[in-house]
Amino acid sequence: MKNIALGQYYPTGSVIHRADPRMKLILAVLFIVCTFLCKNIYSFGAILLASVLLVLVSRIPLKTVLRSIRALLFIMIFTLVINVFMTKGEVLLFEWKFIHIYREGIVNACFMLVRIFALIIGTSILLTYTTTPIALTDAIESLLSPLKKIKLPIHEFAMMMTIALRFIPTLMEETEKIMAAQKARGADFTNGSLIKRAKALIPILIPLFVSAFRRADELSVAMECRCYHGGEGRTSMRVLKYRASDFLLFLAFAALCAGLIALNLLKTPFAL
Amino acid sequence: MSEIKLENVSYVYSEDTPYEKRALTDVTATIKSGAITGIIGHTGSGKSTLVQMLNGLTRPMSGRVLLDGKDIWEDPKKISDVRFRVGLVMQYPEYQLFDETIRADIAFGPKNMGLDKEEIERRVLEAADFAGVDREWLDKSPFDLSGGQKRRAAIAGIIAMRPEILVLDEPAAGLDPAGRKNIMEGLCAYRDKTGSSVVIVSHSMEDMAQYCDDIIVISDGRVIAQGKKEEVFSQSDLLRSVGLDIPQITLVMRLLADNGINVNTGVYTVEDAVNEIYKLI
Repeated sequence: MKNIALGQYYPTGSVIHRADPRMKLILAVLFIVCTFLCKNIYSFGAILLASVLLVLVSRIPLKTVLRSIRALLFIMIFTLVINVFMTKGEVLLFEWKFIHIYREGIVNACFMLVRIFALIIGTSILLTYTTTPIALTDAIESLLSPLKKIKLPIHEFAMMMTIALRFIPTLMEETEKIMAAQKARGADFTNGSLIKRAKALIPILIPLFVSAFRRADELSVAMECRCYHGGEGRTSMRVLKYRASDFLLFLAFAALCAGLIALNLLKTPFAL
Repeated sequence: MSEIKLENVSYVYSEDTPYEKRALTDVTATIKSGAITGIIGHTGSGKSTLVQMLNGLTRPMSGRVLLDGKDIWEDPKKISDVRFRVGLVMQYPEYQLFDETIRADIAFGPKNMGLDKEEIERRVLEAADFAGVDREWLDKSPFDLSGGQKRRAAIAGIIAMRPEILVLDEPAAGLDPAGRKNIMEGLCAYRDKTGSSVVIVSHSMEDMAQYCDDIIVISDGRVIAQGKKEEVFSQSDLLRSVGLDIPQITLVMRLLADNGINVNTGVYTVEDAVNEIYKLI
């Protein structure tokens, strides 16, 4: 259960790890936009190259990265099949009864595959693998802070996110402990009918809920004791600061964006 | 009754990730039949992982766990039989109570064993007596009891399975001295009346010295000493080198002996020490 991938943070101390989380959030959005800018084989090649480069720079082992792709393998295959069989084009390659496969279909399928691949790599390298959930929440709070002007409770929202994220590992550990304890009393979670297995969860869920409420209660008392009163005038322990390297990263991404648009202008039969 | 042997058992958490942590390294130990065995070690020394090996909650990555000479992982499908024979009370067991009444909660284990109603009822009452659970509490909700009472009810839930080996991870943690004494003495009574082995994990040297026959000392995932408590406590230098110590009262007696006063240093309880000192007067 420890392997569940919410806290996928994988420390290697690379440039991307050290970058400002706000910048990484912006760059992730930019990267997603980039994947949708691609129109022909050159630009798709470039985005593929950029993804691989991103993995190399982050120094996260390929095995770990591929694991996150495996989770979406089904969607990738599904997209591939749909595109190959459903796209109509001009160059017919294969025909059998109602099945028509066009060259455009295969090209499209490959492009979509690259697009999904780049989407996963871009967001996971820039965010999940290299940014702790807490840093991410800080970044969201900071980026959304202008909305405080129109009375949106941004700080409260960020605080709730932080607390929720903070307690996920704790609750997971607790679940494991309670499961082990009930297993020690002969509880069986893996065998039997669906109803039987659902019933077997009761001895886990009840203690888990009780302890979650107890924790919430204790935490609120502890916050009260330290005079927590919301976001006004509150400073942060980790003050986010943009550094020169963050702007360099931004420039690199802007260059990628521009490059993709330029590559799209090149003439090739392999285009969307 | 039953004996557990660990042979070269190792375990690593989160292998092949940056968070890799060796919990147990090449642990070989014997838990003797009918004895009260204490497992001592610091927080994070691997004690809790070790006890979860004993009833098959955690499967060793290498090495074997032998229950009466038979590898418990020989047939992984039958591991629940092992769990009924080796009862494990986890740390802070009061948080695992879930049923509407204490009675129903204690009956959870026996029910999973497939016993009939009368047998279950008999075992619930028997276990309640051993663990010091008042009969009046049996029809209350677990959430109406105090912390100490809940702890006892949770221990009763394991005793009700009549395990041949009862393993408890820090059974007295966080209880007041009266509560500690109550639980420890109940465990001794369980051993004396049923002949089962009892394994107690703790870092209280005092409790260990008072109630255990054998001691296993682990530090950093390795067994560094095991045997009769007299043998283990005679190696005070070794214990100190891993940040543990001999019981305070034994230390006092040893200091007296070092200063030329003729007292027996193999003393582990305050009462015995008082008697020893009385002899001098």
